[in-house]
Amino acid sequence: MNRVKTTQSKTGEIIAYSEGAIRNNISAVEYCRTSMAAISGCAAGILGLSGTLGFLFYFLSVFVLWILVLVKSGTQWRKFFINRRNLLTNQFMGGLCTYVLFWTFLYGMAHVY
Amino acid sequence: MTELLIDPDIRVWVFLPIVLITFLVGIVRHYVSILISTQKKAEITQIQDSQAMIRARLLRENGKYLSAQSFSMRKNYFNNEETGYFKTQKRAPVAQNSSAMLTDMVKGNFINVLPMVVIGGWINWMFSGFVTTKVPFPLTLRFKPMLQRGVELASLDAAWVSSASWYFLNVFGLRSIYTLVLGENNHADQTQAQADAMTGAAMTMPQDPKAAFKAEWEALEITEYHNALKNIDADMLAIASAPAASS
Repeated sequence: MNRVKTTQSKTGEIIAYSEGAIRNNISAVEYCRTSMAAISGCAAGILGLSGTLGFLFYFLSVFVLWILVLVKSGTQWRKFFINRRNLLTNQFMGGLCTYVLFWTFLYGMAHVY
Repeated sequence: MTELLIDPDIRVWVFLPIVLITFLVGIVRHYVSILISTQKKAEITQIQDSQAMIRARLLRENGKYLSAQSFSMRKNYFNNEETGYFKTQKRAPVAQNSSAMLTDMVKGNFINVLPMVVIGGWINWMFSGFVTTKVPFPLTLRFKPMLQRGVELASLDAAWVSSASWYFLNVFGLRSIYTLVLGENNHADQTQAQADAMTGAAMTMPQDPKAAFKAEWEALEITEYHNALKNIDADMLAIASAPAASS
């Protein structure tokens, strides 16, 4: 659990990360992502977004979550995550799956009948 | 696109129940599998073997930091023709305890396959033939057989979803929600189990130790010793003297 992962920064400095801690952080972000997908799916369904607009809303929500995580971690993000871009792109399709389910569900509940 | 008018009772008595049933069945499956699963007992020799394998791998990867004598000593411990660990340990292929295997299989089927078939069949029978909802984005005709199982209407737009297909959408879509509700390693979803088996490196035991030993023995045999720290004293002195020289 306490294995160490190292990366080299641009200046040639080697930074060591605790594997377990990094995994814990990533799974915490994963929870946020699933919640965000579900909540934004609900919002899109209730608002009655359809077609491209709904997918754009998903992209927007993923982006907003990314910004929020970065704001939360502040200037010290290097302490918590190895890569900033992976925070944005990880589990994109899985989140989309959840999003579409909730979107369809709430859209059906509110607008179809 | 023509709009369909759907009875609101379908929403209350078909659409919503399917979501609830799928979700709750997943949760029940999680707890049932916790209830009836047994801790896998590992034989002490198996753990010994897998630890030996890990040590041999570490030696191959990090042996360059050892001194030459230490490296060959460790290599000798594993690979010596007469006394080496990989040579002397003659393990029979792991004889699976047949009854334990059988109960495992029965349990696996009981948890994974049975609910899928039973609940799926029940939903198909109970809620068959309803058009439940519409996906809020346009789809091509190719999706019709996927989304409109049980409702064979040629003129219906592809965006409408039948009750049977709504069930399957739920089964696949609720996966990450289970992670949210039940925690990381839940048993609600059967695909998770395979991923878990991959990660527990120290606990996985090779099925056939003999073949695994042979592979590891070969890999270790062709590993040559290169000292990574050969010029370390000169390097360190250079680093230490460089700032002094520059200042």
